[in-house]
Amino acid sequence: MKKLLSLIVASVVMCAALFTGCGTAASESNAEAGGAGASDFIVGAIYINSQNDNAGYTYAHHQGIVKAMEALGLNTETNLKIRDNVPEDDEQVRTAIEQLAGQGCDIIFGISFGYINAFAEAAEEYPDIVFCHATGYLSNDRNFNNYFGRIYQARYLAGIAAGYKSLEIGNNNIGYVSAWGTEYAETCSGINAFALGARAVNPDAVVHVNEIYTWGDQELERQAAEVLVSTYGCGVIAQHCDSAQPQIVAQEQGVYGCGYNSDMASDAPDAHLTAPVWNWNVYYQLAIETAMNEASAADFFTNIGGNYYGGLNEGMVDISPLTDNNAPEAAEAIELARNLMVSGEWDVFSGTALVFSGEAGSVTVEQVSQALMDNEGNIIVDGGQGSVDDSVIQGSMNYYVDGVVAES
Amino acid sequence: MRLKIIRRKETRIVNVILLYVIGIAVSFVLGGIFLSSLGINPVVYYRDMLTIGLIGNYYPAKSIEGLLKLFVPLLITSLALSLAFKMKFWNIGGEGEFITGAIFASWVAFKLGDSMPRIVVILLMCIAAFISAGLIGFITAHLKVKFNTNETLVTLMLNYIMLYVIKYIGETKADWNFFLRTDSERPVFARFPENAVMQGITIGNFKLLYSVLASIAIAVIVYFYLKRTKQGYEIAVVGDSVNTARYAGMNVYKITVRTIFLSAALIGLAGAFAAATSGTISTDITNNVGWTGVIVAWLSRLSVPVIGVVSLLISVLQYGCQAASASYSQIDHNFADLMQGLFMFSILAAGFFSHFKIVRTGGKNDD
Repeated sequence: MKKLLSLIVASVVMCAALFTGCGTAASESNAEAGGAGASDFIVGAIYINSQNDNAGYTYAHHQGIVKAMEALGLNTETNLKIRDNVPEDDEQVRTAIEQLAGQGCDIIFGISFGYINAFAEAAEEYPDIVFCHATGYLSNDRNFNNYFGRIYQARYLAGIAAGYKSLEIGNNNIGYVSAWGTEYAETCSGINAFALGARAVNPDAVVHVNEIYTWGDQELERQAAEVLVSTYGCGVIAQHCDSAQPQIVAQEQGVYGCGYNSDMASDAPDAHLTAPVWNWNVYYQLAIETAMNEASAADFFTNIGGNYYGGLNEGMVDISPLTDNNAPEAAEAIELARNLMVSGEWDVFSGTALVFSGEAGSVTVEQVSQALMDNEGNIIVDGGQGSVDDSVIQGSMNYYVDGVVAES
Repeated sequence: MRLKIIRRKETRIVNVILLYVIGIAVSFVLGGIFLSSLGINPVVYYRDMLTIGLIGNYYPAKSIEGLLKLFVPLLITSLALSLAFKMKFWNIGGEGEFITGAIFASWVAFKLGDSMPRIVVILLMCIAAFISAGLIGFITAHLKVKFNTNETLVTLMLNYIMLYVIKYIGETKADWNFFLRTDSERPVFARFPENAVMQGITIGNFKLLYSVLASIAIAVIVYFYLKRTKQGYEIAVVGDSVNTARYAGMNVYKITVRTIFLSAALIGLAGAFAAATSGTISTDITNNVGWTGVIVAWLSRLSVPVIGVVSLLISVLQYGCQAASASYSQIDHNFADLMQGLFMFSILAAGFFSHFKIVRTGGKNDD
């Protein structure tokens, strides 16, 4: 026993000596690198899940920030400071912000809605740091803005693909596994846009929504998809949830599907049509570049043009490449709709509906004046009128459009 | 050959210290191996961790404040739990009692924060938390003494009940729900009115919150309560043997209920402090102190001064790991947790070996 002890003590002492030796050397070289670095602009980020996730919401944001920094020539090893797994608790978010501020961050991104209070306060307390909050609605006119994307535009395009598929297989039932329903405008607007896209192609299509009441739970996502296929006979499964489980179910059951967040074709090669995807790097690059080039953090809000709500036009949202599983008309129709949205000529939630017709090779689109109705028969937008406000799409939309049926 | 664990006959203080030194050293070396495998210099990492990232920090005062915000709830909760543990009453309901206190404190904050002076609001918040959480303790103690229920199960289940209560409040948008922001379409907890937010003494850039002073005062009071008062003595006797207490003519029901009320009420008070400091509540407001407090109480062998030291060390470890995970891109929260666990495990193992030792016994079927 004594021998063992002395052995342990001796090895500990040796290790300690070794580490101290290389410690001083390394910290010196760090200091040099810092002084002579290409850029001393430091980016901070606060994540809701782990920075080492390999799918899902946090993953998408982390990829976006890394890609943006690489494009701007910033070192993601030294110039990116991250606090991850930070729960939506004001005190813990505040601590995370203080730690990132203490590390010298010039801009701090927060990706989860519940960070909103802490971000709003921190923006006042640290006027020299730029704060950007995803999915929120608060801002000041100096160093604090919020950002999100018109994902509903991509949803509409995915809806077109689903609509054509439903025509091809002769099954008007389309399923939709959703984290939440009308409780959140984010999920609600996505479902509505998808349904409008599907019905622009197949007016008889019905979108069956199965809600799982949580943002992510692989088992529930799976079960919800199975129910949509077995009970409601759906031939296409779309989704607004974190994992690819609904697509995997579609593959297993021999039906089709539209993923979300990232291209899910590899998860369900025989089922996947296309997925609405986020290109967060578009915003992150814009925000970091704006903050890098300005004299004062107080100019940020003006320089970046206020709060950010980019769409297809900016490249902030898109759909993943169409797979060979798609009906032949889908690609052309999607291109037509995309052009109308990119040019700003038309948008999804307006009193003008798109109607597609024609065979593959000669698909045409027609704009017809048609009131936007909810599924209880109320008129949301009169025929021919413009789109609902962005604030409605982002914040207060709490109804389903005609053709959507809530199944849970 | 067989190995057998036996209790040490005597524990020499030198041996105990040596064991802890070895335990900590082993965790440093193990952690060092993990860190090196990620290409991080362990010495620099440990320096950043143990100095809670103060070196080269732009806002050092904020780091100290952040550390104290972890320390205060942990200290009070550990003290409160040790009251119950001294009596061999296994209160593992710290989480639930903490949440109860936080909910009732914020109820007062939202309802009275605008109409009363700050000192009154904060005091009322503390009283509301103290009584509400204390009542939870009263219920478990009453059930235990009257019906001999298992307090471990009861307190454990109450944790989940309270967690779901606060989740319900936090996720339900309704007219009655004054806990939430009214301008938000999504449910999110509102900020307290300014008068319900904990203040402190400003020293330069540094703000020493009154809750820090209060928690130290509570530690001193608990120390004297246990050491010098009749009630403290009664707790010790009941903890040693309920029958002895009965023969001595003590009212076991009264002592148990009073002590557990106090234990739970103090944890509720910690919840009120956390809510007032944060200026709001959340489902994650406890920061797991109900669990960490159990570890602290046991590591400290229920000694009040040691609880103070251990709470501080664990807070340093927690804050330091967070700070380090922010400054190294390779380190994520999970890794920081792993490091924390490594340290805790080594220290607990050292504690174990200071009481027990493994000996070899020559068995006949030795092969």
